[in-house]
Amino acid sequence: MALIITIPGLVRLALVRNPDELLRVNDAAVVTRSLSGRGGLFNRSVAAKLTVFRAPDGDIWPAFRDRHDPLRAAHQASLESALSKIDALLQQIAPEITELGNYVGGRRAHRSMGVVVQQAVGRLFFPDYLASEESYAAARTLQAWSSAWPLRAAWLRRSGALKAALDRIQTASRGNMACAHATALAMNNIVKSIELMRELALHGDNLAKIEPKDALLRTLRAPARVVRETRDGDFIGLIRLRSRTLVLLAVENARQQRASDPGFAFFAGAWNQCPAHGLVPALLSNVWQAARTRATAGA
Amino acid sequence: MSRENDGFVFHRGLLQAVLDVAFRVINFFVRWDHLPTLLGSANLSVFRERLREHNLRHTGYGTTPPGWSTGNDRWRSADGSFNSLDHPRMGMAGARFGRNFPLPECVPDSVDDLLEPSPRVISMELLARDTFIPATSLNLLAAAWIQFETHNWFSHGVPEPENEFKIPLKTGDTWPEDERVDGCMKIRRTVPDRTPREPWLGATPTFRNLNSHWWDAGQIYGSDRDRQMQIRSKADGKIEVGSDGMLPADPAHPGADLTGFNDNWWVGLSLLHNLFAREHNVICDGLKTRYPTWNDEELFQRARLINAALIAKIHTIEWTPGILGHPALDFSMRANWSGIPCRVLRAVLGENSEAAYGIIRSPTDQHSAPYAMTEEFTAVYRLHPLIPDDMDVRRIDAAGVEHCKLVDMQGRATRKFMETHGFVDLLYSFGTAHPGAIRLHNYPNFLRQFEKDGQPLLDMAAIDIVRDRERGVPRYNRFRELVGKQRVKTFEEITSIPGAAKKMRAIYKGDVDRVDLMVGLLAEDLPDGFGFSDSAFRIFILMASRRLKSDRFFTDDYRAEIYTDFGLDWIQNNGMKSVLLRHVPQLGPALEGVNNAFAPWNVLRGSAWPSS
Repeated sequence: MALIITIPGLVRLALVRNPDELLRVNDAAVVTRSLSGRGGLFNRSVAAKLTVFRAPDGDIWPAFRDRHDPLRAAHQASLESALSKIDALLQQIAPEITELGNYVGGRRAHRSMGVVVQQAVGRLFFPDYLASEESYAAARTLQAWSSAWPLRAAWLRRSGALKAALDRIQTASRGNMACAHATALAMNNIVKSIELMRELALHGDNLAKIEPKDALLRTLRAPARVVRETRDGDFIGLIRLRSRTLVLLAVENARQQRASDPGFAFFAGAWNQCPAHGLVPALLSNVWQAARTRATAGA
Repeated sequence: MSRENDGFVFHRGLLQAVLDVAFRVINFFVRWDHLPTLLGSANLSVFRERLREHNLRHTGYGTTPPGWSTGNDRWRSADGSFNSLDHPRMGMAGARFGRNFPLPECVPDSVDDLLEPSPRVISMELLARDTFIPATSLNLLAAAWIQFETHNWFSHGVPEPENEFKIPLKTGDTWPEDERVDGCMKIRRTVPDRTPREPWLGATPTFRNLNSHWWDAGQIYGSDRDRQMQIRSKADGKIEVGSDGMLPADPAHPGADLTGFNDNWWVGLSLLHNLFAREHNVICDGLKTRYPTWNDEELFQRARLINAALIAKIHTIEWTPGILGHPALDFSMRANWSGIPCRVLRAVLGENSEAAYGIIRSPTDQHSAPYAMTEEFTAVYRLHPLIPDDMDVRRIDAAGVEHCKLVDMQGRATRKFMETHGFVDLLYSFGTAHPGAIRLHNYPNFLRQFEKDGQPLLDMAAIDIVRDRERGVPRYNRFRELVGKQRVKTFEEITSIPGAAKKMRAIYKGDVDRVDLMVGLLAEDLPDGFGFSDSAFRIFILMASRRLKSDRFFTDDYRAEIYTDFGLDWIQNNGMKSVLLRHVPQLGPALEGVNNAFAPWNVLRGSAWPSS
């Protein structure tokens, strides 16, 4: 059952953790991606944070486009089509997969693993995408912005760090907002998965014992929370959501209850299915395999 | 600078910020309409500032840049382009409707929900007129007037047959069998906007206004140069009229007069178009006398400016206070036009102040978005209940009445009806008849089964419901919230009309958030003296001022070099009553003692007003 918190003037939110409930809420007509900021100060602050994820000319990042936005569907379809050539794409980022495999296998990396992940993700869009410590720092700034407490958020904004990070990500993404989203926000889940893989691999002889498919299931991570808002009040299943409730979909929490289904992390089959729902599991499997190969070769 | 608002930013002054806080506190305890007149009026100006800041949204222009023509700097172009010399596409014919709410709020329901509950059921159960409910403070000219004005401001075009909505009909529905398709009523969709969409529009649908958005009397003069040339006599700047002084017939539109915009034609529109065509021609005579060297074009365009401003003035300080009879509103509308006549206030606030000197002649300002009529504005102007099903046609020179049906006074039958009954008697009859009250259960029944040339049989009430839904206008409760009012939690909070809350609860399955905007507006309990709902009025507060403030011909260019001294005096010294008496002096006794020409006139012979 969802946890609903209402403090008039401060917050009106619902935290949804049950997988079935989460899918129902995600699919409900009254629940939208765009946030009005109504419902309380907290709701307003979350909405204000998300408004920065736009191109300088006002274009909306694809992951924040609403369900009925014709461009969302078009972007989603074209990106999914582009990312469906999994073998070719994995071949394209083979050096990064090898580097990540080395990292998972326990070797010291000469640069942040996040930079490698960012470059791998960026090269899915542009073969010559070049990530750097600075571009990864920009991504981390944007990730921090999304979940920062008010003081830190204020500092990020006032110091210009937020603007600089957005500019850097958008420049590196050459105006491709799907690439910007992937290399700034979405990549964080892959970074977490790789870290988990490294922990898993370094424990006993897991690397040899565990098959890539199983390693994937044990290390795949979904976004911790995805935000939505109810435009109007309604009953969704057994939950009564009032109008202007900020809905936090605890995707990672719910995924752990459906650990056997990797598609859950990507909303596979839902209207907002991640276009990389096939690619990311394959990427992670290949990284594990690369780590095993290196270990075998090293032995 | 974001493309979203084309660079326009709202600047709030310190005084406005202080007043905003003060009135938030005051309104916590007292509603604006319960305040003393001056405070109430100040409260309205605070509402307007809030709305100017938060409730203007650009949706892109949807047009290509227009070409420059001689005179665009001095007078109104035919299509409304170059009103803003910096943004020539702003408000021109063919430009998109804007929005009053953030674009993500203006997204239609998904297909499954769009037709729920059935618009036809709402038409039959909540809107259909049982017995005529009159608006006793108004005459029928007020109803014709608002249609006359909306024909100036907007048109979505005539829907074409393609991918119609199919509304399932319940057993026992009286909708004619031969009009049904698969047991459903068909409703054509609004003409789609096929211009390239800007990516920041998101899921918000856009539609184009075929008319110029400006308050430029486009209903008389048309919204393109070709139409303008068709209606002109091409001599002395005048509009073509026949030997009987009446507008000629439009050969392309049987039954209608040849004028700028003559869709949905009926006798009420014909009366007002003829009246203001005559006014235009009289203004031309006045200009010709003073400026004998001016050619036809110069005379026509200057007369148009003057006539359009006079119509705007009549609307602002006569029609609006007529239908919204509240002292604070009356005071505010007069202040909108000419300011508050207080020397101290004028000295303190300065000559650019709207409050002190009025919007007219103040600096042009678009506030937070480029000027455009909005979808929400068109939605709150769904005032069909004003139209009666029947009316009594009187003769000014004889007793007795002839009972006529409105359906026989419209479309192809209009000109014939006008010829039979005459301009003078029909004006008198309109002045002495009541329109309907803008309430539930008062939608004219002839419009609920309406035959229109080139269209399938129409249920206008159901169509009104569908239009708001398909255009993504928020439903009633969210609309309230977005104009700065509290959401309601129960149906009883909306209305005290006997039985209405119960019916609404049944139709909307107990979900008050699903109540359609038009239903909510018609059901809502009204402030004292108001002819329509307070929620709709919030949009009026914003847009009525905006039509003036955004238009350089009412602001920066409201000056003698553009209008002539004669023109400014003409606007200053005239109103609806003087226009009526100038062209139809026989109405003198009927208008004797009548302060507002949209209030009921004196019945000279026969039975007096039923209500008196």
